Amino acid sequence: MAVEIEESRSTSEKPAQRSRAPLGGLTLGLVAKIIFLSTINATSLWTLGQLIPERVWLGVAFVVLATVAIDVVYLTKARWAIPIKYLLPGTLFLLAFQVYPVIYTAYISTTNLGTGNILDKDAAIEQVISTSVGSTESGISYVARAAQSEDGTLGIILIDQRTDPPEILVGTNEELIVIDPADVVFDGERVQQAGAFTALNLGQAADFETELSQIAVPAEEGVIVLKTFSRAAVVGYSLQYDEAADVMRNVETGVIYRPVDGFFRAESGARLNPGWQINIGFENYERVFASEAIRGPFLRVFVWNWAFAAGTVFFGFALGLLLAITLDHPDLRGKRFYRSFLIFPYALPSFLTVLVWQGMMNRDFGIINDLTGLSTPWLTNPWMARGSVLLVSTWLTFPYFFLVSTGALQSIPKELTEAANVDGASGPQAFGSVTLPLLLIAVAPLMIASFAFNFNNFNVIYMLNRGGPPIPGAQTPAGSTDILVSYTFRLAFESGRGQDLAFATAISILIFLHVAMFSAWSFRKTAKLEEI
Amino acid sequence: MTDIGLGAPAGTATGTRATPATVARQPFGKWFRQVGWRHLVGVAALFFALFPVLFIISSSLNAAGTLSGSSLIPTNLSLINYRELLNGTEAPFIDWFLNTLYVAGGAAILNTGLAAFASYAFSRMRFVGRRAGLLSLLLIQMFPTTLLFVALFVFVTDIGGIFPGLGLGSRTMLLVIYLGGALGVNAWLIKGYFDTIPRDLDESALIDGASHTQIFFRIILPLAAPILAVVALITFVFTLNEFLVASVVLGQGKSENFTLAVGMFRFIDGQGGEWGQFAAGSVMAGIPVVVLFLFLQKYIVSGLTAGAVKG
Repeated sequence: MAVEIEESRSTSEKPAQRSRAPLGGLTLGLVAKIIFLSTINATSLWTLGQLIPERVWLGVAFVVLATVAIDVVYLTKARWAIPIKYLLPGTLFLLAFQVYPVIYTAYISTTNLGTGNILDKDAAIEQVISTSVGSTESGISYVARAAQSEDGTLGIILIDQRTDPPEILVGTNEELIVIDPADVVFDGERVQQAGAFTALNLGQAADFETELSQIAVPAEEGVIVLKTFSRAAVVGYSLQYDEAADVMRNVETGVIYRPVDGFFRAESGARLNPGWQINIGFENYERVFASEAIRGPFLRVFVWNWAFAAGTVFFGFALGLLLAITLDHPDLRGKRFYRSFLIFPYALPSFLTVLVWQGMMNRDFGIINDLTGLSTPWLTNPWMARGSVLLVSTWLTFPYFFLVSTGALQSIPKELTEAANVDGASGPQAFGSVTLPLLLIAVAPLMIASFAFNFNNFNVIYMLNRGGPPIPGAQTPAGSTDILVSYTFRLAFESGRGQDLAFATAISILIFLHVAMFSAWSFRKTAKLEEI
Repeated sequence: MTDIGLGAPAGTATGTRATPATVARQPFGKWFRQVGWRHLVGVAALFFALFPVLFIISSSLNAAGTLSGSSLIPTNLSLINYRELLNGTEAPFIDWFLNTLYVAGGAAILNTGLAAFASYAFSRMRFVGRRAGLLSLLLIQMFPTTLLFVALFVFVTDIGGIFPGLGLGSRTMLLVIYLGGALGVNAWLIKGYFDTIPRDLDESALIDGASHTQIFFRIILPLAAPILAVVALITFVFTLNEFLVASVVLGQGKSENFTLAVGMFRFIDGQGGEWGQFAAGSVMAGIPVVVLFLFLQKYIVSGLTAGAVKG
C-alpha cells in the first residue's frame, strides 16, 4: 500500500519535513503515490485489454469502477474522501472475493451447473455438432496409421497425397497438426514416426481398436476418422442445428432432438452431450426436502453437525476449565511449564495433528491398537468414528479454553471467594455460585465463537476420516461423521455422478441461513453491538 | 521441537524435584491433598496433549519408515526419513514449504495491513455509513470463505480462461482470495485496540501540523504493534491450516504448487506407506509455528480473550 502524504501545504510549513523532501516540492509520499497510481492504472488498462475481447462485462464494469474510484479518492483533497482512502483497498478485495462469491453462490444454486452442464448454450451446441460423426464421406481421404505419443495419447498419422510432396499430419481428438518433414521418420513407404507420435503396428493397434475408432479429428469440412487401419477419411457432421426451430436434427436418420432441461433430447429419451446451464429455480432446494433418499442422510448430517460442534465446545471447555482450576494453585510449582506444553495441541497446525491422529487410529497398524493390543475400529464403526472425531476435536480445543479460563480465573478478585467463605460457603459452593458465573460471563462469547468455528470445522472431519464411514443406502455421498460443509464438498467434487456443483451450492445457502440465524441470536445475547 | 518435546520428562522431574523442600515444611499427606495431586492431573494432561507429538517425533526418527513399524520410543534411530523427504523423490516437500510461506506469509502481512487501514478510519473518523459499515462487516463474516468454495471454483476456472497464470493451480490466486477476508474479525480486533490509544496523542500531533497519514504511520501503528503481531500470527496460522479452499484452487494443478496442507494430505491419505517421511515433514513444518507461538504467547493470550479462534 502506498504511503501518501497529501497536504503539501502543511509540509512546506514545517521546516523539519521540508528537509525530507529532496526534490523540491516532491515528498517521498507523493512519489510513492504517483508510482502506486500509475501502476494501478497501467494494470487496469492491460486487464481491460484482456477482458473486453472475451465479453466479460461484469469484470469490465468492476475494473473500470474500481480504477475510477481509486483515482478519484487518492487524488482529491476533499475531506469526505479521507476515510475512503483507508477503507477502499480492503473493501475492493472484500467485494471481489467475499461479496461477489456469496451472490454467485446464490445464483448457481438456482441452476443445474455440474458435470455435463458447464457450458453456455451456444458453446454446447458447437461442441455437440463438432463431435457428431456422420457416415457420408466428403471425398477427401488419407493414407493413415494409428499412432501413440510418448505420454500415451492416441492419434492418427495422415499422409495427404493431394499435395506433392505429400504432407504429413497428425490428428488427435483435439487438433490436426502439420508435421515438419524434418521430424518425420520413414520406414520404406510408411511413416514410422511423426513429431511426438510413433506408429503402432497392427497388433498394437488392435489392442486399441475401440479407442481408435472413436477418434474424430476436427477438420475444415467435418471430422477425420479412421476407416480402416490404413485409411482415414473426412466425413461430415451428422447433426445440424436449426436455429429458427431451436432443435438439433440428425441429417442421416432424421431424428429430431429438442432442448429439455439443459440437454438436446430425442423422443426416445436419448440425449446429446454435453448439455448447458439453465435456470431451474428452486429445484435444488426441493430436491433436498422432497426425496427421502436425500433428506434422510441430510438430516442425519445436520443433527450430527450440531452435536459435533456443541460436543467439541462442551468437552473442550470442561477439560480446559478443569485443568485451569487444578493448575491455578498458588503453591503449585511448574505452572509455566505446564502452560507452555499444554498449548501444543493448539499451537501445532491442525492439518498435521489431525493426520497424525488418523495414523494413530488406524485399525490395523495404528499405535493405539498396537499398545492396547485391541483391534478397536476407531474410524470404521459409525459410532466409534463419531467418538473418535469428538476425541480429536476436544484434543484440539481444550488448550484454548485452558488458556482463556486461566486468564479469566486470575482476573476474578480473590476477595469475592473469600467473602463467600466467610459467609459460610464451602469451597465447591463458593465456586458454583461465585466463581463459575463470573467466569462464564467472560468465556461465553468465546464459547459461541468456538461453536461457530467448529460448526464448519472441515479439517477435523475430512482429514481424520473423510466424513466416513458412509451411511448405507444414501443416494448422495453422505458419511456418518460428515458435517454440512464436508458433505457439501463431497457433493461438489466426489459425487459418483460427477460434480454436482449446483446442488452443493443449494446446501451452502442453507448453511448460510442457518449460521446467520444462529449468529443473530448470539449477537443479541452477547450485546457486542453496543460497544460501537 | 525435538528438543522441547523430549525435554518434557526432564521438566516434569524438575517440577517434582521441588517436593522435598515442601515436604520438609509440612507432612506429605497434607501436601499431596492440597498440591501434589495437581501434579498427577497435570502430568496426565501433558501425556494426553503430547502423546501424538512424541509419537510423530519418534516416527520421524525411526528408520523403519512405515506406520506399523512406528512406536512411541524410536527403535532404530536414523535421520533417513528427513534425508529422503528433502531429496524430494517422493514429494516436492521443499516446494510445499515455500509455497505455504508465500501464501500464508503474504496473506498475514497484507491482511493485517488492509485491516489496519480500515480500522484507522473506523476508530478515528466519523463519517456517514460508519456504523452500517462495521455491522455489515460482521454480517459478511457470517459467510465463511470456506462455504464459498463452489463459487470460487467456478470463478477461478473462469479467470483461468482469460488469464492462464491465475487459473486453477495458481498460488497467487489463492493468496488474493484470502485477502477477501481481510476486513471482518481482524478489523474488529484492531479497531478495538486503536480505540484504547488516547485520542490526545492524535490531537497534539494534529496541532503540530501532522497529516492524517503521518498520524497513522508514525503514532498509531507503532503503538498498536502488539495487536498487529497477534493478528498477523493468527492470520498466518489460519491460512497455513486452510485446506478446503486451497485444495479447490490448487488441487487440480501441479503438485509442485501445493501448500503443505494440500500436499501432506495427498501424501499420506489413507495408506500410511510413507509414514516416516510424513512424520519428518510434520516435524519440520511444526517447529516454526510452535516457536512463533511460544515467543508470542503473552500477546496471543490477550488476542484470544478478544475473541480470535483458530483451527
